[in-house]
Amino acid sequence: MARVEQTKLQVLRGAVQDNFDILHGIKTRPTTETPRPLRHWLWGLLLIAGMVYLGTPASMVSIGKASAPSAPAPVVASVRAASEPDVMVSRPQPLNREIFPLSLKRIVIDPGHGGVQTGAVAESGLTEKEVTLDVALRLRRLLTDAPFEVLLTRDSDKTLALEKRVEFANSNSADLFISIHVNWMEPRTIRGPETFFVGPTDDPLTMKLVSMENRDSKHSFVDLRHALDKIYIDARRNESRTLAKTIQGQLYGFLKQGNAALENRGVKTAPFAVLMGTQMPAILVEVSCLSNSEEVKLLTKGEYREKIALALLDGIRSYANNINGLQRKGT
Amino acid sequence: MEESNENLCVGIDLGTSRSSISASNGERYVIDSYVGWPVDMVARKLVKKQVLVGREALDNRPMLELRRPLERGIIKEGSQKDEEAVQEILRHLIALVGLKQKSKNRPKVRAVIGVPAEAFRVSKQRLRGVMEGIADSVMLVSEPFAVAYGMEALLHALVIDIGAGTADFCVMQGRYPTEEDQRTLPNAGDSIDDQLSKVVAERYPDAQFTIHMIRAWKEKWSYVGQPQGRVMITTPVKGKATELDITDELRVACESILPPLTETMLDLLSKVTPDYQENVRNNVILAGGTSLIAGLPEAVQKYLGELGGGRATIVKDPVFAGSDGGLAIARDASPSDWEKLSLV
Repeated sequence: MARVEQTKLQVLRGAVQDNFDILHGIKTRPTTETPRPLRHWLWGLLLIAGMVYLGTPASMVSIGKASAPSAPAPVVASVRAASEPDVMVSRPQPLNREIFPLSLKRIVIDPGHGGVQTGAVAESGLTEKEVTLDVALRLRRLLTDAPFEVLLTRDSDKTLALEKRVEFANSNSADLFISIHVNWMEPRTIRGPETFFVGPTDDPLTMKLVSMENRDSKHSFVDLRHALDKIYIDARRNESRTLAKTIQGQLYGFLKQGNAALENRGVKTAPFAVLMGTQMPAILVEVSCLSNSEEVKLLTKGEYREKIALALLDGIRSYANNINGLQRKGT
Repeated sequence: MEESNENLCVGIDLGTSRSSISASNGERYVIDSYVGWPVDMVARKLVKKQVLVGREALDNRPMLELRRPLERGIIKEGSQKDEEAVQEILRHLIALVGLKQKSKNRPKVRAVIGVPAEAFRVSKQRLRGVMEGIADSVMLVSEPFAVAYGMEALLHALVIDIGAGTADFCVMQGRYPTEEDQRTLPNAGDSIDDQLSKVVAERYPDAQFTIHMIRAWKEKWSYVGQPQGRVMITTPVKGKATELDITDELRVACESILPPLTETMLDLLSKVTPDYQENVRNNVILAGGTSLIAGLPEAVQKYLGELGGGRATIVKDPVFAGSDGGLAIARDASPSDWEKLSLV
């Protein structure tokens, strides 16, 4: 009898703790925070370095902080300028990430959809907005011990315009932006994660997906075209590609264990509105497919959603280690 | 632990089809999870109420904007009206056990609410929000866990709580169940209704019936395995009351939940430490309204036989097992626990 009482006490303690964790886990963060001048300065520096590296005339570079004696980026840029003819580079060149004093300090996680925008809906009634928020909240909890700050664009079931998500990431000077989504694809046998970074696409399936995800964007076609043109010479695109590759690798590697039928749908480019407006390396990851009944079955299990969050965590860590490693190498 | 006139403990099983409440003052009630608002002034005059809850709402449905606000055991997403409807159900349940919201000497309400085993965090958050102003402190637990706690089946037991919206599974291993110990399936009472509706329409294309009639037939005659007799129902066919035989259709519909049920059972059993798998197989407990399907424990037990033998039993009171378990949890939690989970 005493053993039953003791077990009851133990499980009861677990129940209270679980409830307490839910309360703690959903604590709302302020939607805007005080901008950090240092971070703006670093990004400004990065942009200037990129412009110089790509051969922008020196007169343009002189505007702003480039003349600061302690700034490392212009020094590298000037070495390049001295060793090559003083002409405009006609085509964008890949940027060497080692020249940037990058480090990962703040991540914005964007759970796709929410509120009246349910996103994809499985036959069982499971909605994309539920899954994305659940995975995001799990990821935030898992990232608690990480050496960087994590912000969520939404931490409850609320409607949030795509522009607001972009604005949130930009105004908080995030170093990374990760938008979580769940796919819906025909034929329904398709299953497997895929990760996008910004860029054009001519794949009809991706085009369909982009039009679905961008449905709530208030941008005009011209806005999108301008943004798309800009990203070709945008330094963050290479970082986004690296991040996408790292996350996709971890996600597929992790999820295919015990799930042999899973397909690696790879890393792709697409003009998603949230990827075009954000000013930091940004990706959109489709973690699973709500159109596939087997995937839906897995997604209803908390265990599987935890697995997805763990895979994303590993991807972020791996990317962060790479960046911080490079930074250490440079110092 | 602490029981006084200042506190009232309640256990609530908020179900997609029916909701039950068990209170520490000895009161127990079950209601249909329906809420209706009169559609116009005429309807309001006839029903003489601003809002109707439970059977009363169901019986007056032609005059009401009727809501069944819970879906898969949680509040339907994206609708303010459904949130309001859940609030009405909870208010109604609390009033049934003798509590008036605005009474001066109203005791503090400590509520334990059962939710599906794998309910999303966001759904739990919404439910807590809805409880504000109705209870003072709220604890949310998985439905099968509440059943297990109430029965003190805390070690080597598998509880399967089959309701209307979901079938919830929970393996008890002497600790608070983790996500790995629990599963939720959408294959439950409602999916049987959908299936029954489909097969009856296929066999009798001219028969006229509603989902409420389908539910009533299922609740009266549902079975798996061998029928006890022919199931004859009376329903209009092209406007004329006609007697129809739905025996086979009923079995097909009811047995449609067996494959996912046994598959999930096997999945959970295989994750139990091998030393204890036999103990768990011998302690499979069925609860929830849909577990009342005739022949279900036998069908589950037959399947357990294929796994090496086992025993499936049905709880004594499937309708109140969840809310009674919730009440037991509410009573056993300490005042400091309740303090931590306060809504204020």
